Amino acid sequence: MGDLKDIAVNRMTGKVCDERIATMKHAKRRVIGNLGNPNLLFDYTNREIGTLPDDNRAHFKWVSEVAYKNIHRIVTRGYDTTELVEAGYGVCDVLFIDFQARIPLVEEKKVLDYILLVGLEDGLSNPALVARLVARGKSYLTQAAGASVFAFGEAYGAFKNFGYMLEKYYNKIAEEGLSAADAAALCVKECYHEDHFGIDSKYVKDPTPKDLMAYAEKALAGKKELKYIPFLKEVVKAAQAEIGYVEADFMAAATAAMMDLDFTPDAAWCIMGVTRAFSAGAHVCEEIERECEREGFDTYGKTLTPKEWYDGPTDRPVPSLAERGEFKGGQAQTPEEWKKMWDRKAKELSGSGFAIDFVLDDARKVVHGKKK
Amino acid sequence: MDRKPLIQRKTGISYKTEEKTVLRGFDVRELANAGYTFIDGLYILFQGRIPAENERAMLDYEVAEFLEHSMSPSAAAAIGVMNGHPMLPAAVGASIATFGGAHGPGAQHGYMMKKYLDRAVLEHKTVEQVAVECVDEYMDAGRAVMGMGQPQHLDGDPRAEPTHLKQEEIGVVGVYLKFQRALEKRFYARRFAEGRSYVAVNMIGAGNTALSDMGFSPNAAWTIGCVTRGYSCSCHALFTLKKGRAWGASRNEPMVQMLDLSMIKYIGPEDREVPLQSEREAYAMNELKTGEFKKWVI
Repeated sequence: MGDLKDIAVNRMTGKVCDERIATMKHAKRRVIGNLGNPNLLFDYTNREIGTLPDDNRAHFKWVSEVAYKNIHRIVTRGYDTTELVEAGYGVCDVLFIDFQARIPLVEEKKVLDYILLVGLEDGLSNPALVARLVARGKSYLTQAAGASVFAFGEAYGAFKNFGYMLEKYYNKIAEEGLSAADAAALCVKECYHEDHFGIDSKYVKDPTPKDLMAYAEKALAGKKELKYIPFLKEVVKAAQAEIGYVEADFMAAATAAMMDLDFTPDAAWCIMGVTRAFSAGAHVCEEIERECEREGFDTYGKTLTPKEWYDGPTDRPVPSLAERGEFKGGQAQTPEEWKKMWDRKAKELSGSGFAIDFVLDDARKVVHGKKK
Repeated sequence: MDRKPLIQRKTGISYKTEEKTVLRGFDVRELANAGYTFIDGLYILFQGRIPAENERAMLDYEVAEFLEHSMSPSAAAAIGVMNGHPMLPAAVGASIATFGGAHGPGAQHGYMMKKYLDRAVLEHKTVEQVAVECVDEYMDAGRAVMGMGQPQHLDGDPRAEPTHLKQEEIGVVGVYLKFQRALEKRFYARRFAEGRSYVAVNMIGAGNTALSDMGFSPNAAWTIGCVTRGYSCSCHALFTLKKGRAWGASRNEPMVQMLDLSMIKYIGPEDREVPLQSEREAYAMNELKTGEFKKWVI
């Protein structure tokens, strides 16, 4: 460790962070730029070279409680998948097994099947449009269909957020002793304006969500106690009293039903996103097949954006590089100056990102954007 | 040729006619002919302005240093996807999409700084005061202070402190670096006082601070960081495509491959008999009743 002390010690802690450095070669380098600065945390001019040696830990493994495979078997949650299909189990059964590690009741499987069928296609909505746009670049079909899943967020297809909302207020019945009606009213009061609320006027003329819930209730009657569909109905009732004629949309009904099938809201989100990607594949096919209706694939630079649609800065001359020397930078030096700059940019420059507010709830979770 | 737009909406970013493409008022051809760069273009795109020369240099420095980071979640995603030999963009897109709450959470760091700078304005506090409050509030709540800690660079990301120094050297210093410096000082002091291990500033703490002082919003900064990394991830994907073994499971390679069967460790339910359909309902009902499955539900 003699030489190591001089070259590998962190100047702040006085310690060596990883003893494996001792076995490595070091390379003396010239001072470049700021790298000779003594305030840097370690000596940049004499760093170790090469990759870190192996240690004595076990080598990397892909750890999973979902599935494994060997030369002759593929096993999910303990069940050999070949044996499953040979025994007559189908895709909906395997979804239960993969996500829940159990074989579903026949009736549960049927309810999931119903949901997947009615959730498969939604016309020219976001996933289909994303897929079609990607396809118009003549990409692989998989690329376009895969991109469609990216369309699922916290507003469009908000199965996850809606599910956790429903669960939160349902749990208040047991945790806080509220009646179902009171818990539902509270849900409406606190969440009506959320993008994922799932109860509005979209489906007042489309009976699909109602039919879905009725099918699930009938199929599972006497088999298992339902919690979320009945509670969703309470929330709808409370919403109607508060807002007027609204109904649960498909996303809400499907999520409640899937939760009554013991799927988590996260699982519902994944399953529905992938289900819709099948139809995105069809949209992609059609986009390619009907290419003749639109003069071929889109090439880079082809699509025009009319000036009449543009409301950014007016056309202006490009200054010379010599004139650039007179420009001031954009750094604020005081909080007040910073605030003024932020607000001005938020107001004046769409597309800069300054007008988007974020909910900073948990730093380790993905952040969620919200337009002011 | 039908060049009609696919969707109709107003935009303040650009317009494109048969004659020219205009970005925030500037004809991009004229910009290029006048000697402006891609880096200048990023300022015009996100801020609607031509940067001062030192700001251009700072962004060029940062984009160049951030571009490659060897094996991180984004590169692993690119390599994993490319093992299936889809089109390259699928792997590149997947790599960009790995950036989230843990890997490169630039927007979160930006909004954390905004939250406390807002407080400085509202409560007439100094930048240093609110930085201390930020660290104390996050640490008291047991939450990760954004911009600190990197699981591979235990002595601090080698790019981080030089980025701070570069900001100072070329004069692109504003409230954000002042805030970040004060935050780091408080963070180190608290961890030291509490006898906790050393955790250094990471590239979000340094790079996102610089991007913020360059005038980019948290989301614009996040975009620049994540998409920049897409360049190097495409290199990792290309290497996998051209010089690696498809699938990543070949037994003919000298090293055990990432998807070799021996790499799998299974910790799920024990192997079990598949029930016949005639047994199914009773079997399934029993599973529901015992509730054993619940510990596996994800």
